[in-house]
Amino acid sequence: MDLSQADDTTLLQLIEQHRADALGTLYDRYGRLVFSVAFRITNDPLTAEDICQDIFLRVWQKADMFRGERGTALTWLARMARNRAIDVLRRESARPEKHSVSWAHVGRDPVSQDLDLEEQAHLALEKHRVRSALAALTEEQRQTLALAYFQGLSHRQIASALDQPLGTVKSRLRSAMQRLREVL
Amino acid sequence: MNDFSGRQPGGSMSDPSHDQIRDLIPAYALNTLEPVEARQVEQHLAGCAACREDLYAYLAVADALPLAVPEADPGGGLKDRILASARPASISAPGPRWQRTWQAAILLGILILGLSTAFLWIRLTQVEQRIPAPRQFFLTGTASAPRAQGVILVSSDSQSATLIVENLPDLGGEQQYQLWLIRDGQRVSGGVFSAGPDGYQSVRIAAPRPLWDYSAFGITIEPAGGSPGPTGERVLEHNL
Repeated sequence: MDLSQADDTTLLQLIEQHRADALGTLYDRYGRLVFSVAFRITNDPLTAEDICQDIFLRVWQKADMFRGERGTALTWLARMARNRAIDVLRRESARPEKHSVSWAHVGRDPVSQDLDLEEQAHLALEKHRVRSALAALTEEQRQTLALAYFQGLSHRQIASALDQPLGTVKSRLRSAMQRLREVL
Repeated sequence: MNDFSGRQPGGSMSDPSHDQIRDLIPAYALNTLEPVEARQVEQHLAGCAACREDLYAYLAVADALPLAVPEADPGGGLKDRILASARPASISAPGPRWQRTWQAAILLGILILGLSTAFLWIRLTQVEQRIPAPRQFFLTGTASAPRAQGVILVSSDSQSATLIVENLPDLGGEQQYQLWLIRDGQRVSGGVFSAGPDGYQSVRIAAPRPLWDYSAFGITIEPAGGSPGPTGERVLEHNL
């Protein structure tokens, strides 16, 4: 069976049966994105690799925890990556305030030789849609959302980091999410 | 303004209002509320269906955000380490955690020697530099099909390419869409296709030369079977 053609649910079922090749295919598909989420939050490649490794090993041990009705395998993995990375930041009380937390530009990702081209094209289109939606926000909205997403900062912490009134920060974050909700 | 349908029995007058809670839901979906606020939202959500609907919508937004994270390459060794750890036989072998700890110790030593800034700069630069050149062309809808969008994805070896389109209007049986590859003002057909009922289609592109050689791409509406050259309205376009 050519696993590169298998859908995510099938891959996870095979992983549940401890098929290592299915885990490898899932990594080929989403490992880069999971690493990227962890790396952009922690700003440390070694910690990000640790998080990525822990997540895929958790999938290996607990593939049955995936619930398709709550989102795709990609959103499941990415959510775990962000939560783990934010936990690391909070545990270490480390706020890498100096590192850039900006969003990706539209259309800048490479193409893998190992993956099905149609599937990559579909994912690329999804990325394009999300990145275009973010590009349509104001710079202040993007910055506020980035501090919340990449550093897990609360309203109060963002207000302090940006030296802005609390109400302004709440309004910016809320309006950014509302706008994205309308267009995504 | 005050809709206290979500207030739990026993709630005090100092409880935040429905509207105040609703304003916190986007941040709750991002898991960035202070603990006290998060508890207030959770208490309210238990009794307010409208706010739960809001939450589901914002969780979907939060789930989409990883797609806008700038990508970086973890390098080739990570997959091997994961697969090695996933095999029961390798449990007793020195694990990746041991390796990471050792590397962390080395890093600490370097930090103590005062080289942390240079080291991290080099590491970050390496991660950034491993990202190869983009190999996607995004097509945007014209005034004729403003909601339409598409992407052409070229394989790393440039030997094959796929076009994905979304939100293209259904043309019926008389007409089809045709992709045009444009170079030096000359237009060559890259394929003829129909959109599905949902406006979606995936097309393998047949190109006489590497797609990098073309300066623009366009998709027009043509009679069924296609035309030797574009004759109909352009619905999607990309200019390099």
